[in-house]
Amino acid sequence: MEHMILDLKKQIIEVLNLEDMTPEDIDDNAPLFVEGLGLDSIDALELIVLMEKQYSIKLEDPGKSKEIFRSIATMAQFIQENGTQ
Amino acid sequence: MMKILAYCRITNDSLLLNGTPDPVGPVQGAGTERLTAIYRAMELKYPKFHKMDNLSKAGFLASEMVLKSLSYDTETLDESTALVFANSSSSLDNDMRFQATLDKENYFPSPAVFVYTLPNIVTGEIAIRNKIHGETSFFIMKSFNAEKMHIFVECAFACKKITQVLCGWTEYLNGHCDVLVMMVRKDAAKGFDFNISNINKLYFDPYGTHDFRSEKADY
Repeated sequence: MEHMILDLKKQIIEVLNLEDMTPEDIDDNAPLFVEGLGLDSIDALELIVLMEKQYSIKLEDPGKSKEIFRSIATMAQFIQENGTQ
Repeated sequence: MMKILAYCRITNDSLLLNGTPDPVGPVQGAGTERLTAIYRAMELKYPKFHKMDNLSKAGFLASEMVLKSLSYDTETLDESTALVFANSSSSLDNDMRFQATLDKENYFPSPAVFVYTLPNIVTGEIAIRNKIHGETSFFIMKSFNAEKMHIFVECAFACKKITQVLCGWTEYLNGHCDVLVMMVRKDAAKGFDFNISNINKLYFDPYGTHDFRSEKADY
């Protein structure tokens, strides 16, 4: 799981152009949106693309996205349970 | 009388602020790398910069330099400043980037790239950053045209509440950067005349070989 979280942080930094950040700057359990990383709606769409591109996961139920994208830890958990990489 | 209060010129190999070359020291690199180097040399803390397309980055940096040189208040909502920009290649540089994400074999359209597939996004970025709520416009022309720029700015001043216009040329395509941003104020005592001749002088002198300040400007 630790390895997965580190990979995910690196991928998020790259796809969201968070150039001034390192994986160490991102708290596993901090909120991704508004607080914490302060991501916005366009970033959310990029995360959906990332899940599909890197882990072949298509989010079928938009209602679950709020919980999946709550933090790095919840994202990693979801990928581990549903991903194919 | 309309006056140019401050201006910034950025090309592939020059950076000029109010006649002073390399105001943030020498910067290395080309294209996006060079724009990022300018951002870092300016010691800005605006993470959204890294998400912008190259056109927005170039226009943003030039506007930052102009506004900082005028000690512009970025915290107060401003309805008296208009934004008037133009270029020739629209958002083609970023459009091609987006097109590359539409590859049939690797089809992952990028939302973050898509949002910059309009040239006027640069005016939005500048307006958001500086709380500018005046009119904004972006024109696409065959090439740099000082006469038209002068007309567009005059039109912006036709709106009574507009007292100054941040305007210019923001062109970026395939690593080629060509930017001139000016702050023009209506009824200003300082600065130099905002006329077609002076606009052309600023545009066609990216290295600052001519000292405009020795004419009528008073910074």
